Amino acid sequence: MVKFSRRSFLQASGVAAAGLASPLAMPAYLRSARAAGPVKLGCLFSSSGTMANLEGRLNYVVKMAADEINAKGGVNGSTIEVLVSDPASDWPLYAQSAKQMLQQEKVAALFGCWTSVSRKTVLPVVEQENGLLYYPLHFEGDENSKNVVYVNSPPASSVLPAVDYLMGDEGVSAKRFFMLGSDYVWPRTINKQLKGYFKSKGIKESAWKEEYVPFGFSNFQTLVNQIRAFADEGGGQPVVILTVVGNSIPDFMREFANQGILATDIPVLGLDMVEADLEGLDTAKLVGHLNCWAYLQNAKGPANEAFLKNWAAYVKAKNVPFSGTVSIDPMVSAYDSVHLWAMAAAKAGSFDVPEVSKAFAGLTFDCPSGYKISMTGENNYVARGVFIGSVNDKQGFDILWQSKDTPKPVPFSPYG
Amino acid sequence: MKLAPFVSILVGVLAGGLLLASPAGAQPLDRAALIARMCGEAAAMGEAGTALAALAASGEEAERAWAAPLPRAAIDRTLACDEAGAVLTEGGLDALTRAPRAAQGTPRTPLLSLKNRPVYELADAAFTLRMAPSVSQRAAALKILERRPALIPAGLLEGAAQAETDAGLKAQIENLAQSAALNAADPALRRAAIARLTENPNRRTLTQLTGLKSDAAYATDAAFRQAVESGIAKVERGIALGDALATLYNGLSFASILFMAAIGLAIIFGLMGVINLAQGELIMIGAYVTWLVQQGLRSLAPGLLDWYLVLAIPFAFLVTAAIGIALEASLLRHLYKRPLMSLLATWAVSLFLMNLVRVLFGTQNLQFETPFYVTGGVPVIGDFIFTWNRMFAIAFAVVTLALTWAVVRKTPLGLNIRAVTQNRDMAACIGIPTRRVDMMAFGLGSGLAGLAGLALSPIYSVNPQMGQNFIIDAFMVVVLGGVGTIAGTVVAALGIGQINVLIEPLWGAVAAKVIVLLMIIGFLQWRPEGLFAVKGRRK
Repeated sequence: MVKFSRRSFLQASGVAAAGLASPLAMPAYLRSARAAGPVKLGCLFSSSGTMANLEGRLNYVVKMAADEINAKGGVNGSTIEVLVSDPASDWPLYAQSAKQMLQQEKVAALFGCWTSVSRKTVLPVVEQENGLLYYPLHFEGDENSKNVVYVNSPPASSVLPAVDYLMGDEGVSAKRFFMLGSDYVWPRTINKQLKGYFKSKGIKESAWKEEYVPFGFSNFQTLVNQIRAFADEGGGQPVVILTVVGNSIPDFMREFANQGILATDIPVLGLDMVEADLEGLDTAKLVGHLNCWAYLQNAKGPANEAFLKNWAAYVKAKNVPFSGTVSIDPMVSAYDSVHLWAMAAAKAGSFDVPEVSKAFAGLTFDCPSGYKISMTGENNYVARGVFIGSVNDKQGFDILWQSKDTPKPVPFSPYG
Repeated sequence: MKLAPFVSILVGVLAGGLLLASPAGAQPLDRAALIARMCGEAAAMGEAGTALAALAASGEEAERAWAAPLPRAAIDRTLACDEAGAVLTEGGLDALTRAPRAAQGTPRTPLLSLKNRPVYELADAAFTLRMAPSVSQRAAALKILERRPALIPAGLLEGAAQAETDAGLKAQIENLAQSAALNAADPALRRAAIARLTENPNRRTLTQLTGLKSDAAYATDAAFRQAVESGIAKVERGIALGDALATLYNGLSFASILFMAAIGLAIIFGLMGVINLAQGELIMIGAYVTWLVQQGLRSLAPGLLDWYLVLAIPFAFLVTAAIGIALEASLLRHLYKRPLMSLLATWAVSLFLMNLVRVLFGTQNLQFETPFYVTGGVPVIGDFIFTWNRMFAIAFAVVTLALTWAVVRKTPLGLNIRAVTQNRDMAACIGIPTRRVDMMAFGLGSGLAGLAGLALSPIYSVNPQMGQNFIIDAFMVVVLGGVGTIAGTVVAALGIGQINVLIEPLWGAVAAKVIVLLMIIGFLQWRPEGLFAVKGRRK
């Protein structure tokens, strides 16, 4: 299995090296000839492996958005055709699929990746091929490629406002922070930035603690004991900033509740926690724990009502193997991505990546979150609203707080 | 919708104004203002919560009866705010007049912020303590009050103790009232409060007592200083004891998980030398069978639903044992002479089973009921909390160990298994049907994996991938323990579990894993046959 994928990966890289400069060097008439037939969009979301339950549903959201645009006559006279791949939650395979889509299928844009690891593997490919990747997850920031559109928020406009809320009087006046994460790039970068932020607020180093667990870790007994000991030391209200991913999230929450800790004692801010992570948990004991995203299912407004209705109808009509009643932030971000791309392409009058990129400045879209999201010419980030959700006893999140408007995204964190 | 926040702010401001006009604590209570504040912004809601708690402590009987349902309604979000005030949606009553009416327009159900939630929970508990008809309800309310002694409004405990009819509960309430007197003027009361606090030795108490060292009385009053110091010493002893017990318990619980995952493998690997990589998937299937039993009970006998974990035991064992026997009869039997092939074949089976489950059930985590015997925990001493789901796994592991030992040591099948393990050819010569024994042993090992899945379902998330987490750990335990011995598996599981738990708080979970693996490698260099080697010739 490993041998096979490495060999085919090498083969693919060989092919890539041969055809490296072709899209750039292609004469202009050839490039515009692409627009004649239907225009192709590619999805890089796993339908198998550990990420399947989360990523799989995004394929269908992209298709749904494309159908919406096609129903209105398509873009630049072309209808959109969505191609789906399965990178099988195997990080190098994301790069390989991206290469295939860009070289063989000549897709106009890619929509994909969930984990930061997979985005990092795709990054050199889209840069070499001068493709365009729309990335729908909130992430650690500190990256700004002209070939990637960061549709969701960097820490400055997601994590920091949430931490600010917790530290404020309206929140819980948090004074002490236990940062617990899975051991990889996203949690480590987030925590590095948080520590820089705490320092800038004059918080002493003894007021925080940082712990990491291996990927897929599930035996949280000792760590929850440590959290309790940390909380009982005194010195102000403690909070847990949780950046573990995957199944570690429900396993942690279960142990937390079983040791009798309530959200009113020590609230947990789960940065990667979505409704799907609460499946199979008794959330009555978890009421009040927090997450923060750029969209929550309970967002008010006609755009969200329409989105939820359309998604439920789409799930029913196309027999989609995911729940029609659950809508999570990355789904909405993927949906926004397709519309943002279509608007840019229509504005540019072309499907050409450089032309489309030039059209980003000033784009706005009525996101289902209820905010008017927008792009500037400065970078490829999208300004989104911020929501803080609070776990309710129905395995969902209620909106506890939301930002007044969309804070300007800051790609590179000044806090480390 | 756009208008609603504005209206609520307006109402909040008006209410605030009204309240300022009437000095706090003055009688009679302005009910309308209270309701308006409960429908206001976070700060106003917090004030309303504090007012409700105070009402529970010192309000008149009629006022208390009126206000009692309000905190619970705010917690449960059954308080619907509209233009005309608010409605308790549970009974369809107006919050103010308690006349039946429906909410007007699109009502707003305010969400308690994290800061206000404990205030409302406290107020609710305060009302319950004073007014609930049953002793158990009042006792539960007292438990909630005990969590936040600082927030308890003055006079509440005295009032409740006076009215309390149950002698035991009355003593408990008075006890709590004493501990609230830590900062009282009377030194005797303070010493009593310290003594009462030390009955609950944990780190929070320690922080509280250490804080008293900077108290003026500490320097001047010798008896007080002595009380504080002996109190601190007592609490520290309690914490040390609690920590030791917690480490032991955590180690034991991790060991029980490792043991459950490894015991089936020990039998299969020990008897036949087959490296069964599908063992993890058999664990996963055991958990899925448990879930199916739960679903079956839900539709057939909902009254027994709480006992599904017990009722599923035979099913989990039999289904996985049948899969194991089928696997042995159809596939592995042809590969005994080629261990590498059997390794690859079982890996293929593992992938097949995982994807089959994925197709049949989907990739999401399964939803398990959590019966009362696997939820929550009891604080024992210090910071040691005895959690029931872990206890379930430990008890389950002990029972499994006893039964497995009995089967291997006391039954004809066990005798045959041991004979074949020690010397296969000789056993065949004296007429033991080795093929049949292989099959039965494989079935037993697989069935034990199924039981492991059942025991793990209250602790871990159940999904198609769950088995992969256990296979490496299981092999680690089996190889360290010495191939094919039950005693070895037990000792190795206990050792690895305990060492892991000891290292984790010192250097973190990642390092703990690395260090344990290095220790195992080192140990196997020294003793390649593991802790307990089977004497005699193998194969």
